[in-house]
Amino acid sequence: MRFNLFLSLLISFSIHSYSKRIEVCPNCVFKSIKAGIEEATNGDVVIVSKADYFETNIIINKSIRLIGIDFPVVDGKNSKEEIFIIEADSVEISGFQIQNVAASHLKDLSGIRVRRRKNFSIEKNKFISTMYGIFLEKSSNGKLLDNTFNGGALDESSSGNGIHAWYCSDLLINGNKIFQHRDGIYFEFVTESVISNNTCEENLRYGLHFMFSNYDEYFDNVFSKNGAGVAVMFSKNINMYRNKFSENWGGASYGLLLKEIYDAEIKNNEFYKNTIGVRVEGSSRVTYENNDFIGNGWAMKIAGGCYDNYVSGNNFISNSFDLAMNTSSNNNKIEGNFWSDYSGYDLNRDGTGDVAHRPVKLFNYIVQQTPESVILLRSLFIDLINFSEKVSPIFTPENVIDNYPVMHQISRLP
Amino acid sequence: MKYLFFSFLSISLLSCSNEPAAIQYGFDQCNFCEMTIVDQSHAAVLVSKKGKTFKFDAIECMSRYLNRNENTEYSQLLVTDYLEPGVLISTESACFLISPEIPSPMGANLTAFGNRNECLIQKNENGGDLFSWDEIVSRFK
Repeated sequence: MRFNLFLSLLISFSIHSYSKRIEVCPNCVFKSIKAGIEEATNGDVVIVSKADYFETNIIINKSIRLIGIDFPVVDGKNSKEEIFIIEADSVEISGFQIQNVAASHLKDLSGIRVRRRKNFSIEKNKFISTMYGIFLEKSSNGKLLDNTFNGGALDESSSGNGIHAWYCSDLLINGNKIFQHRDGIYFEFVTESVISNNTCEENLRYGLHFMFSNYDEYFDNVFSKNGAGVAVMFSKNINMYRNKFSENWGGASYGLLLKEIYDAEIKNNEFYKNTIGVRVEGSSRVTYENNDFIGNGWAMKIAGGCYDNYVSGNNFISNSFDLAMNTSSNNNKIEGNFWSDYSGYDLNRDGTGDVAHRPVKLFNYIVQQTPESVILLRSLFIDLINFSEKVSPIFTPENVIDNYPVMHQISRLP
Repeated sequence: MKYLFFSFLSISLLSCSNEPAAIQYGFDQCNFCEMTIVDQSHAAVLVSKKGKTFKFDAIECMSRYLNRNENTEYSQLLVTDYLEPGVLISTESACFLISPEIPSPMGANLTAFGNRNECLIQKNENGGDLFSWDEIVSRFK
């Protein structure tokens, strides 16, 4: 017993001597966060109590943990300065409310910037009216968990992104909520990273945006009411699972844009009430499986230069247009989907329709030539010409066809 | 009567100008890469011989567009002066800097400045290399 006590004392002492705690509060020895960091050495913990701190350019150049208690406010007073800048490996920042970083045309100002470092962790912070929330440059092995971002951006051109990563790798972005920024999350030259369980709403441009980023994965996110949901551009090997794209509504808006994408997988996602569910340009070897397209203007709009894509096991329910495709099939394969406006029959009752389904309608072709004609949608005249085209296809690509349409909605296992 | 005629004539001639339509930042899409144009310091504009305006979110996009649509007939090529966001200048009078310190929307780190002096100042400050418009067009295909 005595030995145990001695041992635990020894351990607690050794921990104590290894990492010391530095407290920052208005009545403490250290009254500013900068003074607290100044005092710290590698491995220390700096605890900041709840108060208002008007500090900018707080440079963290030691491997420390910086922890806010009850969300102390760090206010940049819109002074065109950044707030935290991480310039050491293994830094943690958690529990702060970081606010008022002004927008600038010439500099990308952010609440927390990580500059060429690794093993950082930014958790449970609140960002309010910061031009950029978190800006990562040439950094790796970082975790951004459970932060909230309220950009308050009204004008797209003078706003920044919630999370901006540039030349990074091995990031985990989980559980964040991002509102009213330019792009919710922006990846430029980012590899081997995971984006999961985030919510991006009411962002002015895109909820999530990939540029030149390969081997990344995003799943279980919600993208709703953004200028457009997600744009994946000029990237390879991006996997997209179980996301919800909803209410991205407007003239040129879409749930998901794929532009020059190769070898992607899009599975178990839900596209609900978007002007265009998925808009595809110049993308090849993409698999669309087990997705639900419900109540969109166009479920899928595929432009030229798309080869070897595979569309199977999806539900197309109550979309104004299920598929727009103005080229020939280009070796794209469409089979085994459920189409809510399929009008065929199943005499042998094997669950697969006996007549092939042509998802591209003649009216689709007309709308592409003359967008204004969309006001004729749902008129008897359009039903007639669609029917006559179905009987003998002339304008619509003949080989865009589902030979094995499923008779009943494909159920999703939880 | 004569004055009326001339005023009509001058109005009708004026209305056929070859001036570019203004970019609606945050609303217009790039004619090459489809991205919404938001960056007021890197946008570019091409005005065709017939007076149609093509808008680009980045200078490298305009260069790539020109290379891939070789029979484009244009009357003006305009780029944004980095130091005066929203102000368009001709590619002939602009000077171009590629510097990793000034990222551009499509990842080429390409920026335009109104004159060569400013270019040199920025080059000394940020590093990088200077280019003319012809060199840019042959570089970004």
